[in-house]
Amino acid sequence: MWGTNLKILGVVLGTIAVYTLLANAIPQIESEVPEELSFTGEVSAEELIDAGEQLYAGAGGCTACHGLGTRAPNLLTAQGSEGPIGARCGNRVPGEDCKTYLHRSMVEPNAHVVDGFQPIMPDMSRTLSDAQIWSMIAYLQSQGGEVTVTSSDLAAAAPDAASAAGGAAAGPSATTDPEALLRELQCVACHKLGAEGQEVGPPFDGIGARLSPDEIRGAILDPAATVSPGYEQFAGVMPPNFGSRLTAAQLEALVGYLAERR
Amino acid sequence: MTRGTIRTSAAGIAALALLVLAAQSGWAQEAAAAGPREYGSFPWIGSRTAIWIAAEVHLMFAAFVLGVPMFAVVAEAIGIFGGDERYDRLSKEFTRLLLIAYSATAMWGAVLVFLLTTLYPRFWAHMTEIFEVSMWIYVGLFFVESFTLYLYYYGWERWKQGRAKLGHWTLGILLNVWGTAVLFIADSWLTYMMSPPADVTPDTSPAMVQAWSAFANATWMPINIHRLIANVVFGGSIVAAYAGYRFLSAKTDDERAHYDWMGYVGNFIAIGALIVLPFAGYYLGREIYEYNQQMGITMMGGFMSWLWIIQAFLIGVLFLAGNYYLWVGMGRIPGAERFLPYTKWMLFVLIIGVIVWSTPHTMIADRAELEAMGGSHHPFLGVLGVMSAKNTAVNLMILTTFLSFLMYRRANRRPVVGWARTGTILQAGLFVIAAAVVLFYGVYGYFVSAIVRIGFSVYQVLAVLATIIGVMALDVAMLRGSESRGEIRWGQMPPRSQYALFVLVVTFTWLMGLMGFARSGIRQHWHVWEVMRDTSQWAATPALGFAAQIISVCVIIFLGMISFIFWLGGLVEKPQLVPKGR
Repeated sequence: MWGTNLKILGVVLGTIAVYTLLANAIPQIESEVPEELSFTGEVSAEELIDAGEQLYAGAGGCTACHGLGTRAPNLLTAQGSEGPIGARCGNRVPGEDCKTYLHRSMVEPNAHVVDGFQPIMPDMSRTLSDAQIWSMIAYLQSQGGEVTVTSSDLAAAAPDAASAAGGAAAGPSATTDPEALLRELQCVACHKLGAEGQEVGPPFDGIGARLSPDEIRGAILDPAATVSPGYEQFAGVMPPNFGSRLTAAQLEALVGYLAERR
Repeated sequence: MTRGTIRTSAAGIAALALLVLAAQSGWAQEAAAAGPREYGSFPWIGSRTAIWIAAEVHLMFAAFVLGVPMFAVVAEAIGIFGGDERYDRLSKEFTRLLLIAYSATAMWGAVLVFLLTTLYPRFWAHMTEIFEVSMWIYVGLFFVESFTLYLYYYGWERWKQGRAKLGHWTLGILLNVWGTAVLFIADSWLTYMMSPPADVTPDTSPAMVQAWSAFANATWMPINIHRLIANVVFGGSIVAAYAGYRFLSAKTDDERAHYDWMGYVGNFIAIGALIVLPFAGYYLGREIYEYNQQMGITMMGGFMSWLWIIQAFLIGVLFLAGNYYLWVGMGRIPGAERFLPYTKWMLFVLIIGVIVWSTPHTMIADRAELEAMGGSHHPFLGVLGVMSAKNTAVNLMILTTFLSFLMYRRANRRPVVGWARTGTILQAGLFVIAAAVVLFYGVYGYFVSAIVRIGFSVYQVLAVLATIIGVMALDVAMLRGSESRGEIRWGQMPPRSQYALFVLVVTFTWLMGLMGFARSGIRQHWHVWEVMRDTSQWAATPALGFAAQIISVCVIIFLGMISFIFWLGGLVEKPQLVPKGR
């Protein structure tokens, strides 16, 4: 009987050992915690680039999509004749310089989705502080372009730093002009309005004929509750926090405006 | 013995509770002087590892005690309504194992709670403020479940006949209802950590979080379903290994026959439930992506991407060992010889499937690695690593395993219905159609965009599921009143087959630990995703190598403890063997 027991023990421990060794034989990647940056006074471009590179390749988690060039554009290599991201960022959106474009891409990622890719980029202000975001931008600019991020960008962001990392999305201005709100909230980035915007979600044109005011209100407040047919693959993209970002007057102004677009 | 075990365990829990409370009161005095504590510290191994081991081992016991009642009650029903007393005895023996394991589950649960309160007080305060009501209900249900279990087991012989037996069976059903409710409540806590409601932010006071929206969060139901099925798989594999051990140490032919049969039933339950588990996994994965793309990408393509290669290897071992056990078992079934020539081809399909499924693709890589590889994918193997190929491989492996089971089931039966030949041709046709659908969408997936390709997996899964259901329905109808080619020679099983059962149980247990790491690890440095940061020194999520070492420690603790308590159970009460046919 002891012989049988030893054989069983051998099979059990041997199987466990094989799995443990196998898991130790593959590349070991640890998920790091984004290092909190505390720059004081004048910050050199090199310091920002170094900090940004570490975040980009590590705790920022960027390479899961951007490093491989399948889920999202590869930022470190040339795209067609345009060069890496630092070289092409200034040409992406007319009227937006490289720094502005990269910043918006990180904190309003659905504002400009590159053709051929899905709007899967998360709002990085939920997980990174402003200093971390600016250092990442400096690193991306250094990839074929000129680094224009300065201490003043960090200083301007400083008052909001406490709420930026992991904080709730900010509310819009006090306007109740529905068209201004649609643009301010980046709604038209995903819902086409006339010739403006992209069709990630159902277009605003004709929405009043398709949905009642109550349904429109429900779709704004709880977008995941009902997904329009044909747009299932984009379910979950629309932010669910408009209920806390809009005042009641703004919400009703939007509902009224959209309900009239028949 | 079992009563004694409960008393001993209860005394142990009380002593442990007093010990921890005493220690806590000492720490509390220190904390009062220094302000509220956010984290405690655990000697030698650190807080994270201590919590990890306590949670994982508790979960392993919990999975066993929640999974076993599901098939115990089904086995009892077969005994009642089918008139085969063997199943009633089998059900009682399952429940006896359950009873002993129950106290160990409670002990580890107590250890986990005490470690959480002492090592992670800030996090625990957050959770209790949101979930306090559900925690009280949980405790109440735990009492009800415990006493239902005692009634169920100790009333077995007393309520054995007529209506009393039906009442007893109802107790078994209630046991499952309470157990499932307990599982669902506990799942709400851990899924809240993964997918809190979108309106909960770091600035939200826990008192303002709506309890129900936190409870029924985005990943709650997918995890519930996945765990329910996985518990059955896990429970079945433990029972099969227990039977394997008793088979190898059996002194008489009757004992050997009984445990051979018990091992077969346990393995059948485990593999049968395993076949549907990947579908629950797809559902869970999809919901994670829908909740947060970043979390989904971290899970599948981020720092955890290599984890899925290890998972593929483990599941490959499960399929191979499960099929091997069935093929060896066919040696004791008269008439099975006619199927044996096919097994080599089935083995070929399984091995190719494992190889394809284990092919790395879109692994996280730095620039130097990308340059060395010549791109983001391997120039030759990259084509096999995409989801089209992997989905095709796993669906064909499931079909192959189902075919093994069907051959096992048909081995000693000769259908007598007039349409038997037509039925068999129809069954073969269904297999061919399913394989063709799986292959078609597998190949077509290379020519469409990723978003379209993802949808193809649904068609592949539906084709396989429809075939399993259709073929089984035909088989049941076809074998009604069938002739026997000879009785199964229970007990005449080569000992090597039983070692496959041990490989299965170790692999299932290890896989459970691995998937636990995946589920918990995708939160990365968040206690509650994007709501409460982990600011302790243990916030970083470790690499797979370290995780594997902890998982192995958990598996050894669990298997060691469960072997010990089963051995204790065997010292006092011997199962009553019932010869087949009674």
